[in-house]
Amino acid sequence: MNKEIKKYVCPYCGEGFDTTEGLKGHVFKTHKGHGLPVSEGGIRLFINKAEYELKVEPNWTLHYLIHDVLGLTGSKQFCDQGACGSCTMIVDGKPVLSCMMLAIECDGKIVETVEGIAAEGHPLIESYAKNHAMQCGYCTPGFVVTSKALLDRNSDPNEEEIMSALAGNICRCGTYPQHVLAVREVAQTLKQEKKQVRG
Amino acid sequence: MRDFKHFNAYSVDEAVALMGRYGERAAVIAGGTDILGKMKDSILPAYPEALINIKTIQGLSEIKESGGMLNIGALALLADIAANPVIKSKYAALAQAAGRTASPHLRNMGTIGGNICQDIRCWYYRNQNNRFSCLRKKGGRCYAIKGDNRYHSIFGGSVSGGCFAVHPSDTAPALVALDAKIVTSSRTIDVEKFFEVKPVKTTVLKADEIVTEIQVPEPAAGSSSAFLKFALRKSIDFPIVNCAVMITLRDSKVEKARICLNAVHVIPYRAVKAEQVITGRVIDEAAAEEAGAAAVSEAKPLEHNKYMVAIARTLVKRAILACAGK
Repeated sequence: MNKEIKKYVCPYCGEGFDTTEGLKGHVFKTHKGHGLPVSEGGIRLFINKAEYELKVEPNWTLHYLIHDVLGLTGSKQFCDQGACGSCTMIVDGKPVLSCMMLAIECDGKIVETVEGIAAEGHPLIESYAKNHAMQCGYCTPGFVVTSKALLDRNSDPNEEEIMSALAGNICRCGTYPQHVLAVREVAQTLKQEKKQVRG
Repeated sequence: MRDFKHFNAYSVDEAVALMGRYGERAAVIAGGTDILGKMKDSILPAYPEALINIKTIQGLSEIKESGGMLNIGALALLADIAANPVIKSKYAALAQAAGRTASPHLRNMGTIGGNICQDIRCWYYRNQNNRFSCLRKKGGRCYAIKGDNRYHSIFGGSVSGGCFAVHPSDTAPALVALDAKIVTSSRTIDVEKFFEVKPVKTTVLKADEIVTEIQVPEPAAGSSSAFLKFALRKSIDFPIVNCAVMITLRDSKVEKARICLNAVHVIPYRAVKAEQVITGRVIDEAAAEEAGAAAVSEAKPLEHNKYMVAIARTLVKRAILACAGK
């Protein structure tokens, strides 16, 4: 009996393929959204628009992976309890706390850190420096990331909206009023840029 | 965190099978904001051997209203519930409660299922490395009775004369006021019967049972609801006391009232006496005041938490007035 042995088996439906290319094409076509299969304990995710395939341990948090393993040290871990906001990252468009997420559960996610925001030359960085929205600076990356997520979904927030969006970030130096000024200024800049593009 | 096994469950059946295999040695993770904090601090005597991720189950995060029933999937995010226009207009107490829970970041992570299944926040129970082996950990006694009990139960304890730790959920009292039902992988439970005080447990869920859906019946015509919370900070804080009220008016008199306080007792505390006082009356300052007093008539505060009685009374009064738009 000559049973055909296929080398590459789809983990979702069990269909066999001769080449990895064939398997990839099949997964893309019929199991869209599942992502490509990765090796056990592995995840595939986008961090600041670059794709990574990483092997992670179950007890790694997303913060540990990005800060300690990948060396993007912008986000800070302070309370490690989900109570301060200094480890904030944007995951799939929403500001979340990376210290309270398991890296292994971030397969297929799109992550944006403060490094990515700086790299794209976002006016927030400049505005934060100009308005002196920091003192010791430890909480600042968390504030910047949360503000960026706010501006992404609301390009012209009023004072109340800014305050409620930043309610999850704690600054023990008490720089809260400056953050409102900084974000308002960016909103004005973005408005003018839009006008110029239209004009 | 110590090492553990991690499983992604792709269906409710798969999650239940995994939980059946591991029993009490496994824990379920959805939003993760409660369980990861517990694991990081090693507060429990036993460390979970495995985590079962239920976020990978498709279709458990939907919010839809049909046929006089609001169905909320257990994985629906608190942020989505707080912003949902249907919930905001018809089930106001629930939207307000979800919107006042924790911080914006945590509301983007935490689920409604996790919010009602969360563990207690008693500082003896939560102390790092299981320093206080209290009644809720099958230990000898409740350390809050003689210790610092400023955030503990004002309506007595539970677990054979003992645990005074309050239930910390914000959405639970709203669900009690709205008369919701909790659907699990094997049964449907009235929300009032869902909470149970047992060692290392806050709900009646079995070791191989997960919450899959929350059903809220559409309030009768003339109904309105409100939720109020008193906490030390406006954001990222657990309630000192919170209160949800639903009132149905007929001919400008109260036909039916459901009033629930939380963070004042070991489980959400339905203030039946206050409901009786307000039923049949026109809502005004005096009636609301009387209902507030009735709500705390059975309070037996401990040494440090007498102030909570006054807060509970005022919150009941204000929540009733808020229902009437006053």
